[in-house]
This record gives sequence, structure tokens and C-alpha cells, in this order.
Amino acid sequence: MEELIEKLKGELIAELNLEEVTPADIDAEAPLFGDGGLGLDSIDALEIILILERNYGIKIENPAQGKEIFYSVKTLAEYITANQKK
Amino acid sequence: MKIYINADSIVTPLGFGTQENLAALCSYRSALSAHTTSDVADTPIFMSEFNDHTIRLESKILNLESQYTKFERLVIMSITDVLNQTHIDLEDKSIGIVISTTKGNTVLIDHTMESQDGRVSLWKTSDRIGRYFGAANRPIIVSNACISGVSAMIVGKRLIEAGVFESVIVAGCDVLSHFITSGFKSFKSLSANRCLPFDARRDGLNLGEGAGAVLLSTDMGEHSVQLAGGAISNDANHISGPSRTGYELNLAIQGAMREAGVAASDISFVNTHGTATVYNDEMESKAVTLAGLQDRPVQSLKPYFGHTLGASGIIEAIVCAHELRMGTLFGTMGFEKPGTPMPLKVLPEHKRMKMRHCVKTASGFGGCNAAIVLSLPQYAKPELETEPAAVRSIKSISVFNSQIKVGKRIVFSSKSTEYNVFIREAFKKLADENQKFYKMDNQCKLGYVACGYLLDNVNFEPEEMGIVVMNAVGSLDTDLDHERIISEQGDAMASPSVFVYTLPNVVVGEICIRYKIKGENTFFVSEGHESEKTMKYIEKAMERANLHYCITGWCELIGNRYRLNFNLLENTNYKK
Repeated sequence: MEELIEKLKGELIAELNLEEVTPADIDAEAPLFGDGGLGLDSIDALEIILILERNYGIKIENPAQGKEIFYSVKTLAEYITANQKK
Repeated sequence: MKIYINADSIVTPLGFGTQENLAALCSYRSALSAHTTSDVADTPIFMSEFNDHTIRLESKILNLESQYTKFERLVIMSITDVLNQTHIDLEDKSIGIVISTTKGNTVLIDHTMESQDGRVSLWKTSDRIGRYFGAANRPIIVSNACISGVSAMIVGKRLIEAGVFESVIVAGCDVLSHFITSGFKSFKSLSANRCLPFDARRDGLNLGEGAGAVLLSTDMGEHSVQLAGGAISNDANHISGPSRTGYELNLAIQGAMREAGVAASDISFVNTHGTATVYNDEMESKAVTLAGLQDRPVQSLKPYFGHTLGASGIIEAIVCAHELRMGTLFGTMGFEKPGTPMPLKVLPEHKRMKMRHCVKTASGFGGCNAAIVLSLPQYAKPELETEPAAVRSIKSISVFNSQIKVGKRIVFSSKSTEYNVFIREAFKKLADENQKFYKMDNQCKLGYVACGYLLDNVNFEPEEMGIVVMNAVGSLDTDLDHERIISEQGDAMASPSVFVYTLPNVVVGEICIRYKIKGENTFFVSEGHESEKTMKYIEKAMERANLHYCITGWCELIGNRYRLNFNLLENTNYKK
């Protein structure tokens, strides 16, 4: 799980263009969206859906479903572990 | 000065010419259908698409040689139809052409061709269309995302008011391609069924193809409908998500009604953008309510035409003009169960009504909103009187060759000749903490950083600042990125954060968000910046939209080549 969390942090930084952020800056349990934290928005949520599909073979058709899965890096990692196909 | 729509043409899969389209609407026919396979998408899609065979036949009638693209043929067909209804000649210098489109010839984009064949550039497209008609004036292109059509009608009106032209043909068009369908799919905004605007069951929009054209002039004939008012605003909130309050679209509606001299009680119906995405319709229900129009019948024509992008504003405004004249309100087909936070009066069936005035709105990426008021001439109200703007430039900025100058003073320069290095250094010097800068495409970064220097120590209210930006190529740099992704990895890998920047006006949206600018905002594609015609347009816009300030100029980037020149204009006649 730790390994996956670190990998995910790297992918989020690269794919969401978080240039000023380092993996150490991201608290795996802190909320990804909303004010504070990484301040991600609706376009970032759609990009995370793409990351899941491309890198982990996981499809999320309904963005509303992503709310709980995308809460934090940790919840993302847990979801991937439970559903990964690639 | 009163401006009228004096001829019109709608070209969609429902028919060639306005009458064929109106007949289809009268009998509840929709251009939308399920396509399990198509040339424009990898996966099944519910849309409105021209049958190529039909276009070829129609093109033959017009002797359009195969050298013209589908986009160009459609624009030429709609303009020709309008010309056939009138006695005007485009070789006449007093007649202008304004074309609205989001993507023009994007179907031709091929990232493997570094230099392109020239036709993809929006400016070249307008040149080819102008030459076809032997037009004295090259068409001006408005590319303001999904409000382009309504925007372009406002531009046409102001160009006549400013004395630049005596009449203006305003034509809008967009054609579908993998480029467009994959982008909308990446935004999860497409419905698999016919769209259901304002309904509780709505789950997205349908894309459509089409063209529309109108002739605007000061002549009033038997069939004229007055374009009585128009206004454009910006949410200054998010580049793709609509405003949460609807306040800014409401500003545009109120601005258009003020110019037309009408009150909410004068409005017979409201034709909204009504795309049937959850958030668009939600926002519109709030805006219509804020503007005091909640008890007026509300309509969306998207279930008939789909979302025809840059053509939608013109096609739908033409239908509105005919609804006024026919005394018929077309039903929003499929509507059953109200599903917006503010209740709206949406009717699923056609209704005979006494007509006077209507409001047509549009909203789009980049946070832009536009509204116009159309009036039956016999009910026209005294128009808004405004004092001509007295415009002067109070500050200018240029960005070129790793150097930023405010006036003649160099305020920043970098040793690096690499754009990516230079623009990051220039951004850091601004001490701006906005991390979203790093998510922007390169053209947006250019405009955004320039405004950081230009607006330093400038104070203004959101609604009294406007912004009008131009370049020759639209968003070509990012268009190539998006095309590269889908051609190499397939439509399903289209990136929403790349696609959103394939609309040139998003640079305006980014600047509006950062600096809280809510006034008139427009993106033109033209050959050179600050031409006399555009300046006259801007002066008229500042007068009619009551702007104290306006940022205007050129912002263009392709690869490592870039140039920006902005002026901050002040209207010294401005009164709150």
C-alpha cells in the first residue's frame, strides 16, 4: 500500500501539473479537493479518472461516483487495490 | 439607431434553408439520432450529423468545388441563401462579414504536419470564404466558445452602430470531428440519449452540426425583427464549470434588456442555452430567476438541433425571430419532470402565443455568457441612450523575445531563450501564489503573466472592466496537442485539461478569473492587431456596455514563438 501511495503521488504531480508540489508535501490522508490541500477542481477529477483507466485499467463512468474514491490519496490507493485489473 | 435581422438561413441536417428547418420543428422532428458507428467518434454517439451525400448534392448546385472543406461549404451555403433573399453585393465596401465558430477547420488538423497546409488557421479559413464571394472586406472571426454565435450578432450590431459597416452578414458554423467528440466525451458531458433540457432526468448534451446566417442592417422591411439589445459577461469563476449563482448570466440578460429598453414583463419568452448538462441548466435556472424572468416561458431548442457549438447562437436566434413573427412558441421536446433548483416554466409542446420581445442567451467555456433581445418592430421601445466613449490608452505591455516591457520600460527579462523557462521566471517575479498557473497552456500563461504586470496598481469594479483579445491562429498550439493525443492513443485518452484549452477565449477566461473581470469579453481571430475597425468596435462596446476600462490587444503563441501586445484603455466619459 505504501508503495502504491508513493507511486500515486508521483502520478498526480505529473499528470495534474502540480509543479511546485513534492511527494512529501502531499498528506496521503488529507482531502485532495476543495480549498486548502492541493486545491484540485472538477477538471482534475476528470484527469484522475483517466489516470485510473490508463494506468490501472479501472473504469469510472459516473464522475459523481468518484467523490468518495477521490477523497484522498489513501482512499484512491485503497480503491485501486480492491479493483485493479492491470 | 435600430438594427434589424433582414434575411436569414439555417442549414442543418433537418433541412437547407430556414423554412425547411421551421417545418421540421413544427412537426417535432429532431436531427438527433443514435450512431453506432461514425466518422467522427470511436464509440457509439447520439448526435446530429450531415449526411455527406446531401452536402455533396447541395454543393453541386452551388458549384462549390471540392477544394472547399465541409465547414467552408456550409458557411458558403448559408451566406449564399441569405444573399439570394436580398439585393446586396459583398463586393460593396459598406458590407461586413462576421463568422462565429469554435473550431472552424479542425477536422483538417494533423499534428504530424509541422507547418500545416495553412487551411487549419482560422484566419486563412476566413480569407478563403471572403475570396469565394469576392468580398470587399475579409470576414472577422469571433471565437468565443459556445457563446460565439450570440457574441457575433452583438459584434455585428456594434460594427453597424460604430459606422464601420452599413450592413453585416453574421454567419456561424461548426462541424463535428473526432477532435470535438473526444473532448466532450472526456468531460463526461455527452448523453447517450436525446438530451432533456431542464428535466430531472437530464444527463448531458448531444453534439450537432449546422450553420446559420443573418443579414443585419438598419433597413426595416415587412419581415424584419429588431436586434434590440445585447450584452456579454464573464463568470470570473472557473474555465469549464458554470457559475454557482447564475449572477453573471443574469448581468448579461439585464444588460441586453436595458439596451433594448424592455422590462421583464415585456418579454414573451426566454430561449436559453439549455444544453441539458446538470450544471448548465442549474445555473441558467438561477440566472433567469435573478433577472426576474422566472414566470416567462423558457425554451431550449437543443432537443431538435443538438448543440451546434459556434452555430447554435445564430441558428437559435433565427428560430426565435420566426417564433416572434409566427406567434408560436416551440416546445422543449421531451420535457416532463422539472429538475432545476429554481423552477422554470418549460413547456414540452408548441403553443400559440401573443409575441412582443424575447431573450436569447448562451454560456460557454472560459466563463463567458451572452444575451440578446429580439423585438417585433411594432413593439419596439425607445433605445438606451448612451454618451460616446472617449477612449485613451493609459498603459501598454509587450511580451516578446524573453522580455516584458510596460510602455518603453523593461520590467522583466530572462537570459533564457526558452519560453517555458522565461514565462515561469516572469510568473515567479509577480509573487502570485496561484498554483493554477502551472495547469494553463502556454498561450494562457502568456496572457495571464502579461496581465499581472499590466494590472499592477490598477483598481476597478468587476463589471466596469472588459477584455477583447485577438490573434491569427486561435488556440492552434494546444489544438495540435489534443490531436496528437487522440491520434496516438485513441479518443478515449483525450485529456479534459488539454481539450479545455482548445478554445482560444479561455485565455480571456483565465485573466477574468484571476483579476475578477466580469464585463464584456470577446476573442477575435484577425490578421493584425488594433486595426481601425476593431478599435471602433471596442469604443462602441465600451460605450454600450458601460465599461470604464478595457484590456485589448494581441496574444499569440505557437511552439517557442510568441508575441503579446496589450493596451489598457480608459473611457474618460465613464459614469457609474
